[in-house]
Amino acid sequence: MKRYTPFAAAGLQGLLQYRSTFLISAVTATTAVGVQVFLWRAVYAGRDSGLLGGYDLPTLTTYVLLAQILGLVQANRVDEEVSGEVQRGDIAVSLLRPVSYPAARFAAGLPVSLANATLVAVPVLALYAFLLPLTAPTWTGVLLFACSAALSLVIGFGVNLLVGLAGFVTTNIWGVRVVKDSVVAFFAGQVVPLALMPGPLAAVAHALPFQGMIDGPLRLLLGRYDGLLGAAGILAAQLGWALALTALAAVAWRAAVRRVEVLGG
Amino acid sequence: MIVAENLVKEFRVPERKPGLLGSLSTLFSREYRLVRAVSGVSFEIPAGVKAAYIGANGAGKSTTVKMLTGIMSPTSGRALVAGLEPYRERRRNAANIGVVFGQRSQLWWDLPVPDSFRILRRIHDIPDAVYRRNMALFRDLLDLDALGNTPVRQLSLGQRMRAEVAASLVHDPKVVFLDEPTVGLDLMLKEAVRRLVNHVNAELGTTVLLTSHDMGDITAICDRVLVVNHGEVVHRGTMHELLRTADTRAVVFEQQGERDHAIDLIEKGLDGASAQPLDGGRIKVEYPVARWTARQVMSFLLDHFEVTDCVAPEPDLEMVLRRIYAGQVVT
Repeated sequence: MKRYTPFAAAGLQGLLQYRSTFLISAVTATTAVGVQVFLWRAVYAGRDSGLLGGYDLPTLTTYVLLAQILGLVQANRVDEEVSGEVQRGDIAVSLLRPVSYPAARFAAGLPVSLANATLVAVPVLALYAFLLPLTAPTWTGVLLFACSAALSLVIGFGVNLLVGLAGFVTTNIWGVRVVKDSVVAFFAGQVVPLALMPGPLAAVAHALPFQGMIDGPLRLLLGRYDGLLGAAGILAAQLGWALALTALAAVAWRAAVRRVEVLGG
Repeated sequence: MIVAENLVKEFRVPERKPGLLGSLSTLFSREYRLVRAVSGVSFEIPAGVKAAYIGANGAGKSTTVKMLTGIMSPTSGRALVAGLEPYRERRRNAANIGVVFGQRSQLWWDLPVPDSFRILRRIHDIPDAVYRRNMALFRDLLDLDALGNTPVRQLSLGQRMRAEVAASLVHDPKVVFLDEPTVGLDLMLKEAVRRLVNHVNAELGTTVLLTSHDMGDITAICDRVLVVNHGEVVHRGTMHELLRTADTRAVVFEQQGERDHAIDLIEKGLDGASAQPLDGGRIKVEYPVARWTARQVMSFLLDHFEVTDCVAPEPDLEMVLRRIYAGQVVT
């Protein structure tokens, strides 16, 4: 464990070198939330009932805002950095360190998430809390959300590491990342909550790991689950996916190393 | 310390056909060609030895180094570094070795050099005393402080290489692999890097494996030489032995007579020898070892000229290597 803390510090330091990224992230997130909120307001204005898939407008606004913020926090740059190392061939040097590469990557990605959470997420949240009516969560919700958000970080890391390792298979990793970003955003419920998706699409989304990144945590926060059992179910699904993705990433990493070993760096 | 037993590395390279149609056809069917980068290399480097691993481009040097550092596994054969098979126990092996790849950086791109060292210290769990001793040494010999707090990505190649060499030695590795460690360095710094490597070897008994195209590095650092050609070791031994495989020797002398006449006289008198004028009125005589002994040549010169100065330079390593690569000498 002690060997991985310097990677975390280095990850944070590396990020702080580029201060403008925080500003850009903040502007992007603010704009995205603004556009979505006004879109939903128009949808609600055109309807007779004040509920959509069980969400009223303030709750849905809260959902949209927090979905954007969670998405931001999960953007840990791991996919970008891993694929970059693979393409430049620097992965060979990383193999020369007496540490586990995936674990070092996780350690380096974690502070990026935390920095985005404090430096970008909090101000954006505060801004919209001031501007728009939101639904305040219960304490149980906050507690469940905290556990769930932690698991969502692991899921997000696993997905990004797998995408980064795709750099071993294709040189067009940029394309893969664009596709990943939109697929993940959609099926995670960052654009539309899963509850508002048409039946078959929602079924697909529930079967995928991505719902554990945004829809799951936010349902727990906003109390949209069936009793304690329902909450446990959401967390269990997340935990299952977190473990499965970690295992998958480990297997993929092993295969990637074999590929380097056999084909050359 | 380093053992290679019949190391073989083969790559499957997709065969590309020429032209547009050829490129299109590789989209659907690929034919592979087997390339043997290293074919049955065996050698042993005892602890504390500074060995040069020399070969022309494409001789299989870096592939061998990659197998010894654990990045690649051999197709067949076996390697042992400090008792470990590097590609099987990569992380344990990584703790034992230091590596400089001239083309790649092991430093943290976005961080200043001192931060990279702090990270390495934690990763390798380097004891305080060792870390302080080594940093003082690097500061002394490589003037590391001059790099300041500039992020690595903004350093010049020469500045970065200094830090790379230091980074490879900071954890007191048992073996250090140096691949082109003086690329981009000026004469003073080249000298400093060589001094550092020699110092570490003398103090700690660090085993060194150097691959370089810089003959100066090889002669200043190495006491053993392995020459590889077409993936096989074609010469092993001390530097001195390698130089002695040269089939010509040279003598450079200064004399008081007329130079063109002297050159004529030498080429007529010493069958097979060649004489060239050098600057400062000196003449360089090259003679085949098979035809003439040093004694015969010297006495010829002393008999015919008023020799005022005379040196017999070591055979030129580059020339020796050229001959080996060309397949003229195999020892």
